Amino acid sequence: MHTLKLLSSFFKVNVQMSLAYRADTVVNILLNLMWLGWELLSLNIIFSNTTTLGGWGFAELIALLGVFRLVNTLMMALIWPNTEKFNQSIRDGSMDYTILQPVNSMFLVTFSRITVWRIWDLILAITLIVVGINMTGDTTTALHILTFILLATTGTIVIYSLWIVLIALTFWFTKFDNNVTILHALLDSGRYPATVYPVWLRVIVTFIVPIAVATTIPLQALRGDLNLGQVAIFFFVGVGSFIIASQVWKAGLKRYSGASS
Amino acid sequence: MSPTITVQQLSKTYQVPEREGGFGAAVRSFFKRKYKDVKAVQQVDFKIEQGEVVGFLGPNGAGKTTTLKMLSGLLHPTGGKAEVLGFTPWELRPDYLRSMTLVMGQRNRLSWDIPAADSFLLNQAIYRIPDDEYKKTYKELDELLELEPLMKKPVRNLSLGERMKCEIAAGLLHRPKVLFLDEPTIGLDITGQVRIREFLREYNKRTGATILLTSHYMADVTALCERIIIIHHGNLKYDGGISDLSKKIAPFKLIGMMLTEPDSHDLSKYGEPVQNEEDAAKKYIQVKAEDVTRVTSKLLADLPIHDITITDPPIEDVIEQAFNQ
Repeated sequence: MHTLKLLSSFFKVNVQMSLAYRADTVVNILLNLMWLGWELLSLNIIFSNTTTLGGWGFAELIALLGVFRLVNTLMMALIWPNTEKFNQSIRDGSMDYTILQPVNSMFLVTFSRITVWRIWDLILAITLIVVGINMTGDTTTALHILTFILLATTGTIVIYSLWIVLIALTFWFTKFDNNVTILHALLDSGRYPATVYPVWLRVIVTFIVPIAVATTIPLQALRGDLNLGQVAIFFFVGVGSFIIASQVWKAGLKRYSGASS
Repeated sequence: MSPTITVQQLSKTYQVPEREGGFGAAVRSFFKRKYKDVKAVQQVDFKIEQGEVVGFLGPNGAGKTTTLKMLSGLLHPTGGKAEVLGFTPWELRPDYLRSMTLVMGQRNRLSWDIPAADSFLLNQAIYRIPDDEYKKTYKELDELLELEPLMKKPVRNLSLGERMKCEIAAGLLHRPKVLFLDEPTIGLDITGQVRIREFLREYNKRTGATILLTSHYMADVTALCERIIIIHHGNLKYDGGISDLSKKIAPFKLIGMMLTEPDSHDLSKYGEPVQNEEDAAKKYIQVKAEDVTRVTSKLLADLPIHDITITDPPIEDVIEQAFNQ
């Protein structure tokens, strides 16, 4: 309950910050509307020319795109701005204040900046997912949809955990501004289903880089390609990665408090 | 009742990378980095009781900030123990964090682009302050610091002094029992310093909060603190009343004289001549406290003196003497 209240406080403050500069606000709204138009247009182009890609059906592709966009929104609305703030707070020392607040510091680092304009993207992503699922038709059962949602959440958590590990590395290296660039490079490969890549790349994408976990695997669940055992494995991978990330974060904080002056 | 702050044998050693200047050294250091141990704080002991206002003094790099950071929980010590309000600070228990505050004069906690009032509300949520309590605390802080006119402007449009008032208020909204203040008046003009000082004194009186503060401005310390702790090169040099300091560290008195022909007398045989820029008309000598009576009567007998004063040396000089010991 308190977490929700905090989240809404953060959201409010971020709306206030976004509205602080009028010209900037207007440009942002226009830009985001333009982006949205462009995204819809490109979707239209893709779907008017293609019905399958790497053996995936039209409806599944829409849902996949939705999941991809969801992860992308997470990147744009939270991960990018908070990484920027994080790197800055390490440099100027305001990290000290973050650590001394009586709230989990990982939570603070995740939500203190929110790019509120990305709310459109969130709506678009969810719409795409809902439309995609609807289009898959009768073959999709409620269980498939449920496992899809579960694994999409899991995948998001895996990406999030990867991010936490990447920024926590800053505690050791002090200057590690490339942390986001790396993550972004990794994430972009998730735009298309892992099966369209050559085998070697697929291995990397699936096992070394867990992006496929966030996009392709939920889709496989939606198609009913996964049995419950596999679903359970992926779910535990998600839980595991979160636990590992929290531990790395804790170790990073300890390192910070051991080294900084 | 046990003291609010107990520090035992507290030590902190940093490893700092070190290299010679120059290009070649930079490349070599990239491959093989040499580290040097820097002992920032060495086996420091002290206790502070509830409600005390203690000044923490020392030159730059003496270990003041390191000690404050350990006491607030930001740094793990390399040795020794510390207990504040019954907590070990660096365990960072939420209950501890809710009952203390660290205000650093050179760091910002308020968001730049929005008025401080909005950042205050965020703090209210973070520290889980109930609405009525928040209003009460805010009203009190407003009374003491006159915050209201500052609340509506974005923080970036405030002057340094105004911003510092808001920063301090932001750190006190949750009514902490212990305040660690690192250079709270740094960069402020005299009026600004006085305002912050008066506020801290009044706040301590009203709430009974324990305050440990560092400052470069001696006036902060002499105005606020009855007790001071001096630290130099990481070692504790003095811990005690500010009035006893000159007795212990520098048992000297200053004798000031108004002379008819100021420059024609050799004062060095009576005591050590001292320059005093503020009062150039007078000649000053420094003598040991126990010799004051003897030297004074000799001076009065020997020299054409219009006026004579006997004073304690300025606290700044005494402390500098302590540093140089």
